[in-house]
Formats: sequence, C-alpha cells, structure tokens
Amino acid sequence: MKKQSPPHPPLTINNSLSSNHPSFLKAVFAILQKDISAEFRSRELLSAMLVFSLLVILIFNFALELDVKVRQSITAGVLWTTFAFAGTLGLNRSMAVEKDRGCLDGLLLAPVDRSVIFFGKMLSNLTFMLIVTIIILPVYSVLYNVNLFRLDLLGVILLGSIGYSAVGTLIAAMTVQTRTRDVLLPVLLFPIVISLLIAALKVSNGLLNGAEFSEISAPLNLLIAYDVIFISIAFMVFDYVVEE
Amino acid sequence: MLLETTPDTSAFMIAGYTVAFVVMGLYVASLFIRNRNLDRDAEMLKTLFEAESSPSSKKEAGKSAKKPAPKKKSVSKKK
Amino acid sequence: MQKRPILLTMLDVVSVIMLAISTYLALFYAPTELVMGDVQRVFYFHIGTAWTALLGFIFAAGAGITYLVTKDLRWDRVGVAAVEVSTVFFLITIMLGSIWAYPAWNTWWTWDPRLTSAAITELIYAAYFMLRQGIDDVEKRARFGAIYTIIGGISAPLTFMSIRWAQSRTIHPVIIGAENATAKGDFSMTPDMLTAFLFALLAFTIIFIDLLWNRIRLESKQSEVDQLKMKVTN
Repeated sequence: MKKQSPPHPPLTINNSLSSNHPSFLKAVFAILQKDISAEFRSRELLSAMLVFSLLVILIFNFALELDVKVRQSITAGVLWTTFAFAGTLGLNRSMAVEKDRGCLDGLLLAPVDRSVIFFGKMLSNLTFMLIVTIIILPVYSVLYNVNLFRLDLLGVILLGSIGYSAVGTLIAAMTVQTRTRDVLLPVLLFPIVISLLIAALKVSNGLLNGAEFSEISAPLNLLIAYDVIFISIAFMVFDYVVEE
Repeated sequence: MLLETTPDTSAFMIAGYTVAFVVMGLYVASLFIRNRNLDRDAEMLKTLFEAESSPSSKKEAGKSAKKPAPKKKSVSKKK
Repeated sequence: MQKRPILLTMLDVVSVIMLAISTYLALFYAPTELVMGDVQRVFYFHIGTAWTALLGFIFAAGAGITYLVTKDLRWDRVGVAAVEVSTVFFLITIMLGSIWAYPAWNTWWTWDPRLTSAAITELIYAAYFMLRQGIDDVEKRARFGAIYTIIGGISAPLTFMSIRWAQSRTIHPVIIGAENATAKGDFSMTPDMLTAFLFALLAFTIIFIDLLWNRIRLESKQSEVDQLKMKVTN
C-alpha cells in the first residue's frame, strides 16, 4: 500500500522524563488528584455509580428473592455483578470527560510518558470503584444482615478492582474514540473481564462460606495473575491507544 | 453392542453436516457477493474519476454533463 | 487491482476436493461408533473447525502485534481476515457440538467450561467487529483492532482456566490425551477413525488458508475502493 498516514509532528518531548522515577509517580498522582478534586466538586460520577449500585441490588432482591438460604450462596454474585455494572458507568464517564473537554489532548501535550496517563486514569477509576465498594458493603450488610466488612473480602475486592480498572481504562480509552462509545464499552469489556469476575467470585464465595484456603488458592492465583498480565499488557499498548 | 444396540442418531448427523455446509456456503457466498460489489464500485469510481479529471481544461462545461455517465458495465469479468 | 493469482485458484480447487474427501471419510469410511451411533461422525468437522479457528485467533493476535510494530496496514488486513474466518469456523464448531450434545448429553447446551469459554471467545470476536465498525479512521481502526485481538487472545485461555476451576468437573470428552472419568460421550478411536480425523484436520487447515487468502484480497480491494472514493470526492 502506498497510502501512509499523514506525517504527524512527533511529540519528542514525551520520553524525556520517563525514566525519571520520582517525577513519574508525581505525574501519576497529579492526574489522580486532578480527577478526585474534580469529582469532589461536581460529585456527578460517584453519585451516579452509587445510586446505580443500590438500584441493581434492589432489583436483585426481587429478581432472586434473596431470602436467608439463597443469600448465603448468592451474595458474592450480587456484589460482583453490581461492581461490574457500576464500573462501566464510571469508566465511560471518566474517559468521556477527558475526551469531550479536550483534557486528553492537554494531557498528551504534557511532557510525561504516555503510560503516566494510563496509570493516573487507572488509579482514579480504581479509587472511585473502591469508594463505591466501601459504601455499598456496609449498606448490603445492614440490609441483609450479613457481615461483609471483612479484611480478607476487602482484599479480594481490591485485587478484582485493580484488574477491572486496568482492562477497563484501556478499553474505555479506545471506545471513547469511537462513534458508538457508550454502547461499545460493556460489549468490549465484559467478555474480557469475565475470567477476572469468575475468579473473584469464586474466591469471595469461598471466603463467605468459610472454605479452606486450599480451595480458593487456585482462583486467587488466577486473580493475581490476571492483574499482573493485564496491567503489563495495558502498559505496553496504551501508547497506541492515545496516539494521534 | 454389549449393553444395548447402537441408537439411530443419523438424523442428528445429517443435521450437523447440513449446518456445517450451510454456514460455510453462506460465508463463501458472502465473500463472493462482497467481492462482486467491490468490483462494481471500483469500476464506477474509476469512470467517475476519469470523467472528472481528464477534461480538466473544459471542466466547467463538461462537469455536469459528463459526471453521471458511468455506464453500467454489469459485472466485471475479473475473478 | 491485481489479477487473481493462479496459486489461489489452485488452492480453491484443492480446498473443495479436500472438503469432499474429508466428508466422504467422515460419513462413509470411518466406522460407526457403537454407543452413540452416527452422530459421532460430527466429531471430525467439530475438531477440524475448532482447531483451525483457535489457531486463527492466535494468528490474528500475532498479526496484531506485527501491525503495532511495523505499522504496515497489510497486517491489519491479515488480522481482520483471520478473525473473520476463525469466527465463522468457531461458530460451526459450537453449532456442531450443540447438535452432537443433544443425543449424547440430552441437552443442547450445558455450562461446561469448554462450552462456556467457547461462547465467550466467540463473543470477544463479535465485539471486535463492532469495535471496528465504530471507527472511521483507517489507521486508528487498525490500531484498536490490533490491540483488541491481542487482549482477546490472552483473555481466552484465562477464561477457560477460570471456569475450569470454578466448576470442579467437566462432561466434555477429551479424545486426545488425558482420560476424563466424568466425561459423557467419550470413545476411543479406531485406526480408520484416526485416518478420517487427521484428514479432517489437514483439510480444514487448507480450507482455512484458502478462505483467509481470499478474505485478505477482499480487504485489499476494499481499501483500494475506499481510496478511490477519497480521490473522487476531493
């Protein structure tokens, strides 16, 4: 093929600071801080995610008739489904804001490595998911009289959310640049994160039902492996996602 | 043979092979149709392009007259 | 537009012949399996399509990586072609499996690890086409497509593992390799069956390459037409 993409001006300033460790972290946290302070001013994202999560739980309550017996086996499933759906809301919103207000272009012009943008956005998505979790867990505990506020469960949720926000940030960064963005995100994201969700579900279920560690070690390993694999993949390919 | 006679499941076998051949056939047909449409498009675009670029000196006069003249050469023989 | 290479036409012919022979071997040459009867003959095409489709998905991920490294749009065309042909083949695999399952397991579908991960894999690649459809810019479409095939290729085996652990037992037979005590519909192959089986693998590999090649040419033609369109509108 003769047709090449039009030669765009190379952003040579990009890599100048990439190897410089303190500034890498500083830049990542700068993006995180920017997102958090913007969110605490408008509160539109978190409130939407929260209300949505509560509604999902409400619907599950009636759809599955969560009586005492059913609850035991299904709590983890309800929780993870809720997080997965609420997560797409957050991802869509957080990337769309960057794109629509031209922030992404501004970020791209900043003299930092592109992966800084990825880690910054991933961390802020992770933060929002965790905030929603922290609020949802006690609410669920009160509503259904089960204690979900346990350290080991929180650990699993943290591991799951890390993987979810890693893949989610990468895919949302792509879908936000397409024509059918809001529709496309869950369609692209869910088949990819389903293994993460299954593993997280298995571990949480095991924890809630007091299973032996040997029973949950395999899915737990998978969960960790998923996090590591997809963070590294996203780190490697994110440059190509935001390339202009 | 030891436990029971072999069940007659040939209907499912026929269904299976029918499905396999139908799906493959549909796919090949879609390739064929897409290929034909592209050939047709290419042909039309080429005539359009030539009509627009070659009489560039008398463009103003010829443009409107010449443009909608892509004779449908039906299906190209290129295959 | 280049002329159709003779090698490709020859490959077309060879594919048709191979398909015919493979069908003959599967339907008439191989002996009838005693427990399941004739429906077991579905197995040859089931494995043939599954094998090529999975290789095709891996190949597409490879093409994706190559595209990202070289930025050569030809690799993007190879990628789309591979994903499309593989998706069609995998659809055949799933449908054949389902038709086989009804007499063998008494149900069209179960949420067995293999079946579930096959369905999810098919969904990943269906989503791939939706992603491509949403992007107009050729170069961006190629980039995102490449990234998604890479992610998909990594995710598919992870899905399989996760479901395998989530459910302790599987009823899907494993004909090659390990014995599976809980499998329903297991059988051991006679030499004639093995011949038909290996031939089906070969036949579908050749058919896959042929379809792939045709599809790549179609994609090149598409991009030529798109460029012509650009030229005309400018």
